[in-house]
Order: sequence, then structure tokens, then C-alpha cells
Amino acid sequence: MMRMQNLSKVYRTHMIETHALRGFDIHVRQGEFVTVTGPSGSGKTTFLNIAGLLETFNGGEYVLDGVDVKGMSDDARSRLRNEKLGFIFQGFNLIPDLNLYDNVDVPLRYRGLSAADRDKRIKDALAQVGLGSRIKHYPAELSGGQQQRVAIARALAGSPKLLLADEPTGNLDTQMARSVMELLEEINAGGTTILMVTHDPELAVRAQRNVHIIDGQVSDLVKKMPSLFDVNSTSATVSATA
Amino acid sequence: MLRYYFLLGVRNLRRNPILTALMVLTLAIGVAASVSTLTILHVMSGDPIPHKSQRLLAPLIDNAPSRGYVQGSKPGDNQMSYRDAINLSASKQGERRTAVYGVAGAIEAARPDLPVEGVNGLGVESSYFAMFETPFLYGNAWSETEDKSKAKVVVLNSVKSEKLFGKENPVGKHIRMINEDFQVVGVLNNWNPLPRYTHPIGSGSAISGVDEMFIPFSTAISLELQPNGNTTCQSDVQPGWQGFLDSECTWIQYWFETKTVADRGAVKDYLDAYMAEQRKLGRYQRQQPAQLFNVMQWMDYLEIVSNDTRLSVWLSFGFLLLCLVNTVGLLLAKFSVRAPEVGVRRALGATQGDIFRQFLMEAGVIGIAGGFAGLLLALGSLALIAQQSKDLAAVARMDWPMLALTMVLALIASLLAGLLPTWRACQVTPAIQLKSQ
Amino acid sequence: MEIRPILSALLRSKTAPILIAAQVAISLAILANALYVVNLRQAAAARPSGVADESTIFYMSTSPLQRRSHSELLAQQQRDVEVLSAIPGVVSVSQTNQMPLSRSGSTSGWALDRKQTRSSTSASMYFTAGPFIKTLGLKLIDGRDFNIGDVVEVDDKLDDVGKKFAKGVIITKAMADFLFPGAASVVGKPILYGTGDDAAETRIIGVVERLQSTGASVKPGGEYSVIIPHRTSTPYSRIAVRTEPGQRDRAMAEAETVLRKASPVPMIVRSRTMETDRIERYRNERAMVWMLLAVCALLLMVTASGIVGMATLRVAQRKKLIGVRRALGARKRDILRYFVMENFLITSGGVVAGLLLAVALNQLLVSQLEMTKLPLNYLAYGAGALWLLGFLAVYGPAWRAAGISPAIATRSA
Repeated sequence: MMRMQNLSKVYRTHMIETHALRGFDIHVRQGEFVTVTGPSGSGKTTFLNIAGLLETFNGGEYVLDGVDVKGMSDDARSRLRNEKLGFIFQGFNLIPDLNLYDNVDVPLRYRGLSAADRDKRIKDALAQVGLGSRIKHYPAELSGGQQQRVAIARALAGSPKLLLADEPTGNLDTQMARSVMELLEEINAGGTTILMVTHDPELAVRAQRNVHIIDGQVSDLVKKMPSLFDVNSTSATVSATA
Repeated sequence: MLRYYFLLGVRNLRRNPILTALMVLTLAIGVAASVSTLTILHVMSGDPIPHKSQRLLAPLIDNAPSRGYVQGSKPGDNQMSYRDAINLSASKQGERRTAVYGVAGAIEAARPDLPVEGVNGLGVESSYFAMFETPFLYGNAWSETEDKSKAKVVVLNSVKSEKLFGKENPVGKHIRMINEDFQVVGVLNNWNPLPRYTHPIGSGSAISGVDEMFIPFSTAISLELQPNGNTTCQSDVQPGWQGFLDSECTWIQYWFETKTVADRGAVKDYLDAYMAEQRKLGRYQRQQPAQLFNVMQWMDYLEIVSNDTRLSVWLSFGFLLLCLVNTVGLLLAKFSVRAPEVGVRRALGATQGDIFRQFLMEAGVIGIAGGFAGLLLALGSLALIAQQSKDLAAVARMDWPMLALTMVLALIASLLAGLLPTWRACQVTPAIQLKSQ
Repeated sequence: MEIRPILSALLRSKTAPILIAAQVAISLAILANALYVVNLRQAAAARPSGVADESTIFYMSTSPLQRRSHSELLAQQQRDVEVLSAIPGVVSVSQTNQMPLSRSGSTSGWALDRKQTRSSTSASMYFTAGPFIKTLGLKLIDGRDFNIGDVVEVDDKLDDVGKKFAKGVIITKAMADFLFPGAASVVGKPILYGTGDDAAETRIIGVVERLQSTGASVKPGGEYSVIIPHRTSTPYSRIAVRTEPGQRDRAMAEAETVLRKASPVPMIVRSRTMETDRIERYRNERAMVWMLLAVCALLLMVTASGIVGMATLRVAQRKKLIGVRRALGARKRDILRYFVMENFLITSGGVVAGLLLAVALNQLLVSQLEMTKLPLNYLAYGAGALWLLGFLAVYGPAWRAAGISPAIATRSA
């Protein structure tokens, strides 16, 4: 489904050079639910940005759903994002001026689907996340959990091959977080591959596979998490729920 | 997709309503100022007879004395002497031709207790009406026979006709004018070309002057009607009317109409030959060739549009530029707070081109709103300008082309103003924006 | 107060300051040129005509319908003058062929030497057989007024005007200065009507301080007038009337009636006040002044709104920074000064560019639209106006910035 090999990413300013990722290897198969963990500044977000084609990389290979992404133009990456990827952000990132219907509509517009097709997809997606009755509402009128559901509906409406989630429960209380997580699992069960960055060890455990990143490299590729980063993630959980 | 962007643009008008209103207003004021001054220039310098202006030709023969003449300077006067006018009329050059000069007199009222009314108009040849395509409400032009017989016939304009005869058709009736009996043969239907190009020099305004009646040129001459307008005499004049007619005084506007635009050359050749022939008789001391102008060239030569009018246009376009720069700043502010939205849209698959089109369209929507507001302001300011003078009242009139121009100008201004802010919006990288949330 | 940190902050985010400076520059360029034109037009309209107390002057013109002989017309003139003189409130009446500022009249060339091929100047020709100088209240500064012996009767239809020309004329001071620069007195000097051998010689017998031509052009020729004591039968004959203060309108209304009544045949009677002529003469100037002032006002408003907008934005962006500075001991007035200074720098950049732009615009107007060169003091006024505008516009936002609480520094964004 997606494979990165020996990938590297360097940020340069005229003073400092920072290696965000180096010799990075990962392979995610179709239908997998992979969580990504790691301490702050380890390169998790850079990895997710590159995986999501939001950023370019300096060396190595990245093949997404059979497409070699290397050297692709900005426009081509935009199209690929639109067709194959879905995004869920920690801060929901709904457009405040648009109602739920129009928010979910955004990626579909860029795909150039017919009005009827879009309408069906939007209504189906909102129904799937349990907000089918509130399509005329604006984001500000919803709770955080509901907003994240809309974001999920927006990601799902384009039937993506790969769903990228960046701390999707980071801004939610435990109960809401759980229900969002259940929704993601349900989507995964439907066949969509999911890659999720999280601080929460509890969530990381629930996934089929956990990838741990330290200093821009994949340090471990085990099915069950090791206990050594317990301390880290606990503190993260505390700050998120505080 | 453009429709989608348009709807988004309309929706976003409501976002930052004060900022948006300020932008719309700024654009509107700038556009209104430009359009109102341009309207005046446009009407003043408009082609009064577009389909024919290339074929209506005004000749200019310099018959001023050589005394004090500097080679290459402009002719001594812009009008023509009586001798040249009748010679040109006898020449049968071109398709039609006419001499024109201003006459004035008085019309005696039907009832002796009413005050006598002044009237001003033109002495013209019968072809005048066909040449300038004057619309007739009643009757017709007089014929060439009446030109020859110096008949006392008159064509009135509709205002004068209504004053004298009310709403009824006066053709065939007689009026007592210039102490003579004139028969009305026709009434013109609201014919006030802007500018008043057939007789731009002399009495009344070249812009808004009105000719109330037309009588045969030959009749006016035989009645010894003094020219009502400019007369320039630079050489000796013998006493009496005949002395005046025989002099080199210039006081007549002359026009040729040619069948095709190409026939202009033939008229010019004729004029050169005519001048050569007259030089043998001792006329035209200055060695100036004949000049020929079509309608628009003639208006230009006579400088009908004042420099003040042009100055207003220039300064108001400078003002529009200022409004445009101001709008750039406002749009930058409006778009810069939308960086998160750009980040999300880019992440969801929008290309830079998509963002560019969306934001430029949004600027365009503001432009359209500014155009409508500008149109209202322009109409208002034109109404104010019209109150300044008769001339301005005649030209401060918005027409369809200017109306369209208002919208186009507002749209172009907003798109120009939107370029930099939109380009900035396109530069937002999705990765950074999403992280900062 | 140190300028360097402000400058470096400006250089780091250039766009908005550049836009403001550009607005200031464009405003200055237009403002300086527009105000110059306004002043030119107003000065033109404010020039005196030479006529004393124009508000008590009106004039009548009568034209009979029948063609009349020379003697009949002269008789009518005489009768009209008498009838008008008898109206209560009328102070003085004089026949003339034209009135100053009326935009309709005659002009002829004058020379000093028969050998001249071109006339020295052309001048507006006032033919009068009446107490013209007294009626219009012209100020005679040299020589004498006409007496009965000076008046010559000329029949336009039969006589060659050149041959019968009056022996003495009165000219304006402007014309005298032009023809005889530096002369102590021009009275008694001969001048020529026309040029060449058939020019008519006459002498200057008097000089009036001022009498504008019928066109009242802004060029020097606008005050070149000659008053000639001819009694003529021109169809353009007018009768100028001066009334007692406040009596003009009543007398003018009465004049129409009595003139009609006095005439044995029907005739056209027209009346007009000098005030009307003045208004119409300067109508275009007034319209231009009005338009340019409106543009200037809008210009300043738009620029001010631009400055307010940008300053507000910059304050909002640096709210936290301001809080930190306050926390570190900056006084309110330091913050206020910072923003005022910053704006002063931006405005000054705009003013410098604007001065160049104003000169360039003026060059363009000079070359394309026959405008005259912009005097430097307009640049100074314009620059001063924009500096002041900038200060006033930024004061509000800067004051609000100074009011930001230092506590904001400790709050997280």
C-alpha cells in the first residue's frame, strides 16, 4: 500500500541543518491500522507530512499505492492527495465559514465529481459518522467530538485508500476520544488503511501494529509495544486530558 | 468549478464585513471618479455620426495675408470665405456638399400683444439634411430648386415648432421671421448632436448649442443676414454687403460628403487644383496647401475637448490607482487570516492553481460589488456635475458603453489588486499551517 | 528614540509599509498638482474686471425687427438711453458695443509703427458714445476722459472705419505697459489701428487702471482693451446701466417694459446683469475647482483609512510583543512613540517618492495638457499635509497599542 525506503528529510536554514528523517524505512500493507509513536521532535510529524504528500523529501524512495512519488510536481501531488488520501487533524481543521455539508464537499469539488455524486457521498459520509441530520450546521455549533466526526466524514467522502490521522483524539476528552477511536476502527474494518500518529499508549496498543520513531529513524517494528516509552506517553496523556 | 469559487466569494463577502465594506467602498469611489470624468470626455469626444464621420469632410483653405506669416504655422482662421464657399458649391465635388453659417433674427408672434422672440439657426444648402441625416418629425428638407430660387422656406427644430404651433403639424404654414414671410417645410425631431459638430465655431456652445431653425444659404445671403458667430477679416473690406461678400473675410463652415472613404483623395486633389487656379488670380498669398479633415479630425483640430476635461480624467485615474493600492492592502489583511483554510484545502487536494482561482475570484466578487456601488456613485456624481453648467448637463450622461466600462473597470481593478494577496495565499504550505493548529 | 530597531522591524515585513508609502506618494503627487490647478482657477476667477461694484450693473440690448437706417438706429439709441436714464434708481447710462466678461465682442490688432508687418498686440474694442468710464466706474489713472468733441459718428455700412477713426482713445494700463514698457506716461503717444499703409493713426488720451476684455482671458491679453469714442449703428449695440445699490433688479425689470413701450415698432429686448456674465464666464473654472477639491478630499480619506488599517493590523500582530516590552519596563509613551515613529518613517518614504512623482506628473501635464510648471511651495504644502495626515491617522491605533496591558506577556497566545 505504501512503502518508504531509506527516506531522508533535511531542513535547512542558512545557519543550521536539521536531519528530521534519515534512512527511514516503513512498509504499510493494504487494510492495516498502524499507529506511529515517538517523543517530541522525533520526526513523527515530518513523517506524516511526507506520507501525506504535504512535504517533499530529499532522498530515498516513497511509493504510494503503486505510484512513485519522488520528483512529482506540486500539482500532481495535489491530485494524488485528493484521490488517494484522507486527512484527520488534531485541531479538526474545519473551515469555519462553511456548513458541514460544504466542508465535506471541499475535497470532492477538487476531484471534479458530478453534483449528484457529490451529494450522495456527502450525505452518506455524514450519515456514517452519525451527523446526517445536521448538515446545515456550522462547525462552531458543534462539540469537539462532533467536529472531529465531520473531519472524518470529510476524509471518508472521497473514499481514500489511506487515511492519515495526526493525534485525532488529542483535543478530545476521554469519552469522546474513545468514540472517535471506535469510529476509526470501524472504518478500518471496512477495508481502509489507517496511519495514525498518537501520544496515547492506550490507543497505540489497540492498533494492529505500532511504529516507534526516535531521532528520525524507525527504532522498532513490533506488534506489541515495549514498555520503555511508558513514561513519555503517560505524561502526554496527562497533558492532553488536563 | 468557477461557479463554486464564485459562490465561495459571495459567501466570504460576509466575512470581516467592515473590511469588506471598506474595500467595496474604496473601489467604488475610485471607479466612480474615473467613470464620471471619463463619461464627460467620452460624450464630448464621441463620434456624433459614426457610420459616416469618415466621409464627411471639412476643407480648410488659408486665405489670410502673408503679412506676418511664419511658414508652417497654423492657418489664419478655421472658416471659409464666401467666394470659396460658392466656388466649392459650384464644383459639384463629392457626393453632396453644403455651406453652413450661423444666422439669427426674430420671429413675430401671431398675437401682437406677445413679446417678439429671438431665434438662431443656420443658413444651409438643401443637401445639409441628407448629409447629416437629420431626423424629420414633419415634412422634409427643401429642394435644390428652392436653393436656386432663394425661396423663403424654413425647417424648424421641434422645440421651436412646439412653441409656435403647439403639437400640430406646421408644414405649409407661414411664419413672420426676420421681417419676411417664411413657409415651414419641415420640423426636425429632437436633433441635437453632441458635440454640435456641423457648425462648431461661433455663436453658442460647441458642445450644447442648439440650432432652432434652418433656412437656405442663398436666401440668407440675399436677405443680407449678418453672420451670427465668428467673422475674421484680415484684409481690406469694401463697405456694404457686396463688399463683405467679395472680401477675404472668413465666416463659413464648409462640408463635403464623399461616396466612399477613398474618394477623399479626389476632393483633396480638386482643392489643390482649385487653389492653384485661384492663386493665378492673385489670391492666397500664403503658400499653404489645402487641408481636409473628417469629422473626428475636425473636432480634434478645433480642440472641442478642453484640457481641463482631460486633466480631470488623468487625475481621477490617478485616484483610482490610489484606491487600487489601498485595496491591495485590505485584501492582504483579509486573505492573510485565511492561511489555515488554504492549508486545509491544499491538504484536501487543492492545487496552487485551485487556490489562485478561488482567491482571485473572491477579489473579483468584491470588484463586482464595487462596480455596482461605483455605478450608483457615478450616477450621483454625474447628476451633481450636470448642475454645474449647461454644457456639463449635456455631456454628463451615462450611456451603455460607460455603464459596461464601470463594471469592467471595477472588475479589472479588483483583479489587479487581488494578484499580490492571492499569490501570497498560494504560497501557504499545507504542512506548516496544519502543524501550528 | 532609536530609529534602527524600528527600521529593521520594517524591513522584515516590507509589503504593508510599502503599500502605505505608495499610497502616500500617489496622494502627494495628485494633491500637489490638483491644488495648484485649484489655485490657478480660483485666482483667475477672482481677478477684478476693472468695473466698480459689479452688483449694481446691468445692460440692455434692443433690436428692431425691421431693417433700420443708420440714422434711425442712432435715434433709437438716443431714445433708449433717455428712457433708461429716467428710471428711478438709475445712476448712470452709457451706450456701448460690448461688455466685459460677456464673452461676445470684437477684437482688433494694434501696432506702433507703419513698417510693422504684424500687429503688436490685439485688444478688445469698446466703442462708446456715452459716459462709459463713469457708468462702469473705471479708474482713470492718467490723461482725461472723452468729451463731446472726441466722439466720431461712423456708419458701419457705408464708412471705411479706418478712414474715419477717432483721434483719441483710452487704453488700459496693462496694454500701455506692454506697448510702451517703462514709459512714465503714454498720454499723447500715437498708436495704429491695423497695420501697414492703411492703418489708422490715433493718440492715447487717457489710461484706465483696468478693463478686462469680453473673454477675460487669463493671458495678459485679458486686460488689453481700447475704448474708442465712436457713435455707431452696430446691431450689437448695448446700453450699460448703473443703479443705486439694491435697485438693480427692480430697475432692470422696469427697463424692459419702458423700452418696449417707448419703441414705435416691435423689437427684441434683452437684459442681463454683469453678475450673471461673471458667473457664466467662470462656470467651467468653478466646476473644475469643485471637482478637484472633491477628489482631494476623497484622496486624503482613502489614504488615511489605509494608514489606520495598517497601523491597526500591525498593533494586533504585535500585541504580545508590546506586552513583553511593557513588562520589561517600557512606558506607555514609549509604545506610543514607537508606532508614531514607525508611521513617520513610512510616511516619509512615501513623501520622498511622492515629491518625485508629483514633479513627474507635472512634467507630463505640462507636456500634454499645456499646464504650467508646479511651484515648489505646493510640494512643501502637500508634503506637510501628508505628514500631518499620517500622524493623525496613526494616533488612534498607537494610543490603543499603548493601552495594552503588560499582563498579556504572561498569558499564552
